[in-house]
Amino acid sequence: MTGFYVRWFGVFILSMVFVFLVDQRYTHTLKTIPLKTVRIQSGSHGSVRIMGMVKSGSLHGNLEEGRAAFELVDGAEAVRILYNGLPPENLRELKTVVMIGRWDSEARVFRAHEMGLVPHFGFVASAYVVAFLPIMVVIFFMSRKVMLLFQEIKQSKLYEPEAPSHVDKG
Amino acid sequence: MQRFKGWFGGGAVLCLMAGGYTGLLTSPPDYYQGEIVRIMYVHVPLAHTALFSYSVLFGGSLWYLWKHEPFIDNMCHAAAGISALFTLLALITGSIWAKPTWNTWWTWDPRLVSFAVLLLILGGYLMLRTFLIDDPEKEGRYAAVVAIIGFIDLPIVHFSVEWWRTLHQPQSISTRGVAISDDLLLPLMLMSIGFTLLFVYMLIIRTQLLYLTSLLHAKKGRLLSHVHLSQAGS
Repeated sequence: MTGFYVRWFGVFILSMVFVFLVDQRYTHTLKTIPLKTVRIQSGSHGSVRIMGMVKSGSLHGNLEEGRAAFELVDGAEAVRILYNGLPPENLRELKTVVMIGRWDSEARVFRAHEMGLVPHFGFVASAYVVAFLPIMVVIFFMSRKVMLLFQEIKQSKLYEPEAPSHVDKG
Repeated sequence: MQRFKGWFGGGAVLCLMAGGYTGLLTSPPDYYQGEIVRIMYVHVPLAHTALFSYSVLFGGSLWYLWKHEPFIDNMCHAAAGISALFTLLALITGSIWAKPTWNTWWTWDPRLVSFAVLLLILGGYLMLRTFLIDDPEKEGRYAAVVAIIGFIDLPIVHFSVEWWRTLHQPQSISTRGVAISDDLLLPLMLMSIGFTLLFVYMLIIRTQLLYLTSLLHAKKGRLLSHVHLSQAGS
């Protein structure tokens, strides 16, 4: 049984390494910061991601040329955005979007150069957990049960051959 | 098959790790779906494996009705349980994908309904095997008939997106060609192969488990009958 638990410990360690890598990727490339802290964090970390809804009636500019100005709101917080980048196909009023850029403290606007969709990473993570965890648990308990059954059959000497039946060979 | 169990298990782990790595870490997000597309790398392979495992159950049931081999009956019983697990997980992961994409956890779409019916068929099959019949011979025969009748649902699941107007997108990989880019195709294929190997690995273990359980019951029953006979004799 020791080898069995060692193998499963290996699988557990591999899974934890994988979870760590995914968490690192999420933190570095997808995590957004709250709108109320953008003025503080943007200066120290360079380019940041902020998420909010495009305020109704605030969207102006030439979207086909990739220039837009609007207000991004999240609850009571609002930040003025100046977008200058690729023509954004998904930019509409009342749509929740992610803007990537940095805070300009002199002009007091957020200068965005890229736009992203809402990551919904919680859904992605939960789908992977739902997909793998039950399967791993089922395999673990099935394999363990098989080993225990083998042991039970050996120890209780149930594996002994049956007594020969009395069949006339004549 | 027993000898290759480790190869199937090892191959599954390798493919799933590679698929998970490319799917979650290196493949780009989809232009319209964004990060949510990564759910496809588990949902679609789970659904494929669920259908594949039911096909194994169907083939095994036909074989059992023809040859009446107890080993095949055990394998069918094992395949049904695993198929039910994969079907349930495919439905749940699909539901998790649907919430941010369609803004609902569930809709009465033909693909979703026919897939849920598959889960009900498998539930019925397992209930029949667990609760209803005491005679193993009869149990195996009735269960095989249920599995063969239930197979009608598989083409309905497969073609539902073409026969009816559905929310569910049509097949991305079919005889007409591949409709997704290589960046998205690679993790999808790796995960599909990984889950298929995992199914075979689970099938071997569960068949072994059912065989050992029945062997233990039979041996115990025989020993007990010996004890009763010897007590009656003395």
